[in-house]
Amino acid sequence: MSEVNKKVVLSAKNLEVTFRKGRQRVSAVAGISFDLYEGETLGLVGESGCGKSTTGRALMQIVPSTGGQIFVDGDELTSLNKQEARNLRRKMQMIFQDPISSLNPRRRVKDIVAEPLDCWKTAKGAERDAIVSDLLNKVGIDPAVYGNRYARQFSGGQCQRISIARSLAMRPRLLICDEVVSALDVSIQAQILNLLEDLKKEYGLTMLFIAHDLAVVKNISDRVAVMYLGKLCEIGPSNTLYDTPAHPYTDFLLGAALEADPEIEQSHTTLGGEPPSPLNPPSGCRFRTRCPSATEKCAVEEPQLRDIGDGHQVACHYPLIGANQ
Amino acid sequence: MSQDNHSNNQTITSDLLVVENLTTTFHTARGPLPAVGGVSFRLGAHETLGIVGESGSGKTVLSRTIMGLQPRSNVEVGGSVLLGGHQIVGSSDDALRDIWGTKVAMIFQDPMTSLNPVTKIGKQIGESLRVRLGMNKAEAKARAIELLTLVGIPSPAERYEAYPTQLSGGMRQRVMIAIALACNPTLLLADEPTTGLDVTIQAQILDLLDELQLTMKMSVVLVTHDLGVVATRTDRIIVMYAGRIVEMGTTKEVFRDHRMPYTRALLESTPRVSNPSHTRLQTIPGRPPNLLKLTEGCAFAPRCSRAIEKCSKERPDLEPTGTDGHYFACWNPLDASGAPVISTTGSTKEFGEDNVRS
Repeated sequence: MSEVNKKVVLSAKNLEVTFRKGRQRVSAVAGISFDLYEGETLGLVGESGCGKSTTGRALMQIVPSTGGQIFVDGDELTSLNKQEARNLRRKMQMIFQDPISSLNPRRRVKDIVAEPLDCWKTAKGAERDAIVSDLLNKVGIDPAVYGNRYARQFSGGQCQRISIARSLAMRPRLLICDEVVSALDVSIQAQILNLLEDLKKEYGLTMLFIAHDLAVVKNISDRVAVMYLGKLCEIGPSNTLYDTPAHPYTDFLLGAALEADPEIEQSHTTLGGEPPSPLNPPSGCRFRTRCPSATEKCAVEEPQLRDIGDGHQVACHYPLIGANQ
Repeated sequence: MSQDNHSNNQTITSDLLVVENLTTTFHTARGPLPAVGGVSFRLGAHETLGIVGESGSGKTVLSRTIMGLQPRSNVEVGGSVLLGGHQIVGSSDDALRDIWGTKVAMIFQDPMTSLNPVTKIGKQIGESLRVRLGMNKAEAKARAIELLTLVGIPSPAERYEAYPTQLSGGMRQRVMIAIALACNPTLLLADEPTTGLDVTIQAQILDLLDELQLTMKMSVVLVTHDLGVVATRTDRIIVMYAGRIVEMGTTKEVFRDHRMPYTRALLESTPRVSNPSHTRLQTIPGRPPNLLKLTEGCAFAPRCSRAIEKCSKERPDLEPTGTDGHYFACWNPLDASGAPVISTTGSTKEFGEDNVRS
């Protein structure tokens, strides 16, 4: 595991995103706080509808956050005016789930990758072409052969490589990856994961890696945060969190993850029920309706994230490890 | 468990499903596309068979061909599929309709598009009961509610009146299972039944399938790209690549003592929860072949680190390893006594250059 120094690149403070649905309000992200340290990869896992993608989008301000603050290198993103926010966002780039629809099928690969450079007018002419060629080489696409082809001529895995090249054009500090490998086959998925690891080292990137696949997230992350219904349940170093989960939900999630090995005795505690509607979340702890160890206290008092040692934090009144309150 | 000599033509009555040299070829504008290129296997009663492979490996086309669901035009199906004595290949629609539901049923990947959005789920479950089993309205309704209970849908009597859009993805898949099981099929084909569902819901659905298989005494074919799903839920597995079986055997054998390099590559490129973070993944260079341009040799040869000259010239046939129905198709197979791939934690040995060149 790489040594993580403690310089904060991105910090979310009580981030909230609320969508309106008619008269109703859905709080997709209901006040989450976390720090992203320089050079680390933070994995964000959870089931569909837990708000993990919305969190990523809110950090980029693709969807406006309705509360809380986002600090990027100390600057508060939500309080800036449009131009200032744009400038700040050069430091942040995002890669999306569907590689094919995130590229314009009728544009040439080298123009797609050069787009950020053209927008910001940071390089032109031979310098621009050199940067583009370099980026394409880095992601394993030969610019001499494929640079002039159209995006529609590439497979999903190759399109994801092109998206990655484009995201690196502005030399960002922070890369937000939203389910970047979930549409790919395992053999291609492994190629992309290895590529991201290599590029992270080479460009000194800090990454927020959003995914639902627990094995993928563990593989790439230094720390992992688990979300449930718009709240963070638990956050901690990957190996610690996977070996000794503190939140009952994390435990169930890991128990449901299937290991590709028939010899391993799979823990078999299936979590019953389904997540409640975010339109009408349970009072107190949001997991209490499905939690086997829930008590009255859980319904009344919302558990806050608290330290249980070694940078491992959990939001639970009765965590599986660490002293009870 | 199926018998070893599957090249032998005599039908063994204990096998529920006998597939012999099955081919499915699509006639496209760019030439014939052999989606399934000569597949033979047997499935015993109460057995669970996993079919794994990447996208385009032919696993879905294979399961649809077994079901007899291929359209008549532009598709050519060869070989034979014997299901409990019924020949599926070349059967008329009427003959197939007698088999569908009562002998073989299928669950599809996307429950939303498989269900009719404007019909109540109760009616959709009752439909086959009334048509196939000749039940009247009241009987069908009672049985449909029974089935909803069986697949674990809470308050089934109320849900009977629900429309598919009012249910979550996991619940819709349960409804699909209820429809499939309505007429007590002997064989259930499940094509990616849990893809697109969350892990906790996936576990629920797989548990449900396990349980139902026992109570209803069915055979199950589980088609999936997820090695984790087949690892614990199947008795035997088939690994497919470019429309052919490249390895088949008992699940434990294939995971532990696989001989075909593709099987190993697939296993090694799968991230594992039990490995520490930042474990370097093994990758397979390149990508799956274009089925329109298949060559004479082994389809995996261009991506294979163990390829020898013969591999690109001659296609290997499935050969028995000698142990219990374990077959593989490879000219230069991995050592049988090779170290188990699963324990090579942290190995950084590259399978080949991580690069994509088309």
